[in-house]
Amino acid sequence: MATTQPTTSLVNKLPARLRNFFARYPPQVYSAAVAPRPEAPETATVTTNPEELPSPYTPNRDAKGFKRPDPKEFSPSRALLYSDPKHPNPFLPRKNFRTGKWSGPRFGLRTQAELVNLAVKYNVEALLPPGRKSTEYKDTRRNERGLAIKGTGIGQKVKGHKWERTMEARLEDRRKAMMEMPEMIRLWKQRGHGRGWKSWPKR
Amino acid sequence: MAKKVKSRTISVRLISMAMTGYFRTMIRPRTHRPLSMLKYDPVVKKKVLFLEATKGGRNR
Repeated sequence: MATTQPTTSLVNKLPARLRNFFARYPPQVYSAAVAPRPEAPETATVTTNPEELPSPYTPNRDAKGFKRPDPKEFSPSRALLYSDPKHPNPFLPRKNFRTGKWSGPRFGLRTQAELVNLAVKYNVEALLPPGRKSTEYKDTRRNERGLAIKGTGIGQKVKGHKWERTMEARLEDRRKAMMEMPEMIRLWKQRGHGRGWKSWPKR
Repeated sequence: MAKKVKSRTISVRLISMAMTGYFRTMIRPRTHRPLSMLKYDPVVKKKVLFLEATKGGRNR
């Protein structure tokens, strides 16, 4: 991890795009390393106390006692995407709790990916704000969800086709039948090539 | 009304005893004894015993 106060020479090595980004969003404030984690839950700006709510008959969801999700209950990957209300993460959308409206991230996912790729190339990814394109987020999420291939996660399995489900048993039947085949043929020959045969198969 | 005349021959199914599901269809006289023969089964790629199968598995 690079230092949070990079030397001038190191800064000069970075491409202009990253330099501009770090100038606008200094890593000391915004980077994933210093980003607040759910261990320090954000102060509740919305009251959930029913007496203090304005009126239940408003279309405002917050007024109906909408509870903000508890950061302590976030999954590990979701917990990475934590935005400090004082310094909103430019990679994450955020809700304006005064107007109730959402504003999108300052940088779209495509731009985020470009920035992350660039930062990885120059080994300064840790200085970027946490986002959905970060290596850490992707790794955590993959651990949670398993691979994108269905059935590879923990406790998951796929139903599959019937021929796939029964294949093992059928091959076993076939193997047993082939083991007994020489003896069967010997008996068959002994009994007059089928004249004395009793056990005929069902159709 | 006269009974419908049955054909002299019937087509029968000879099933591979290798339990591969492979079968051959043959025609034999109705009064003949059930067919059985050694034939090639392409699934196990070997000559195996084929036995005639009828509905309900009843043969004389």
